[in-house]
Amino acid sequence: MIDGLFNNPSYLAAKKTLDAVAVRQEAIANNIANLETPGYKRVDLSPNFRAELDRAVSSGDAQQIDSLKPSLSVDTNAVAMSQDGNTVNLENEMMQLNQNTLAHTLETQMVSSLLMRLKMAITGKSS
Amino acid sequence: MIQPLSGIQNTVAALDAERTRLDVISENIANANTTHGVDGKPYQRKVVVFESAMQQAMGAGGNGSMTPQLHVARIDTDKRAPLEIYAPGNPDADARGMVATPNINIHEEMADLIAASRAFEANLAVVKNEKSMAMQTLSIGKH
Repeated sequence: MIDGLFNNPSYLAAKKTLDAVAVRQEAIANNIANLETPGYKRVDLSPNFRAELDRAVSSGDAQQIDSLKPSLSVDTNAVAMSQDGNTVNLENEMMQLNQNTLAHTLETQMVSSLLMRLKMAITGKSS
Repeated sequence: MIQPLSGIQNTVAALDAERTRLDVISENIANANTTHGVDGKPYQRKVVVFESAMQQAMGAGGNGSMTPQLHVARIDTDKRAPLEIYAPGNPDADARGMVATPNINIHEEMADLIAASRAFEANLAVVKNEKSMAMQTLSIGKH
């Protein structure tokens, strides 16, 4: 594999964000599935992933961006709205779900367009 | 194996559990006036008991984090005493003319029915979203 072609920091960052969106989708799906599980605490993407990605992107180091790994963690800021201690709010989750789907569309198009640009540079043709 | 729809096992489990709950509620409503069940006693209201078991997440993150998966632990009978109404003409009436009828509150059942079907719909929305995302992922590199 010609690594040099795919070491562009913005391509790697878009790829990592796409990974994060997929992990987040899993978190939201779990939250909605456990809407009525007593004592369930909502999970979300680890809040420090964003800061780490920001730092890695601003350093411009491809290796550093590539080594990031999005993970799930319990959302400690969520407040239980019911007596059973469940912190899932259906309206909030549906909003996040739709936001996440849009973010996914954005990221797939971003990755696609970066790849198309690369192809254009290789072939010299625009389509 | 490649799993394009990763992380929806828990959603599917929740859909299954909610469907069971809907079935039990409809059984309760259908038997609201059953004074003579299979065992000769008035119908006893049934309740679904949900339980969550930890499930190793094998999805997109592949991070091995534990997420609780919803499933039906058991279907219990409500221990409420039957409601006695005066109906001397009823073949099931006792010596005082009282008939024991199931203690089912139709309003309570309807409220549960709506809650269960909304939870079902929410999970269905997740599946639809997941599918459209998978389609987009598969079209990366096309134009």
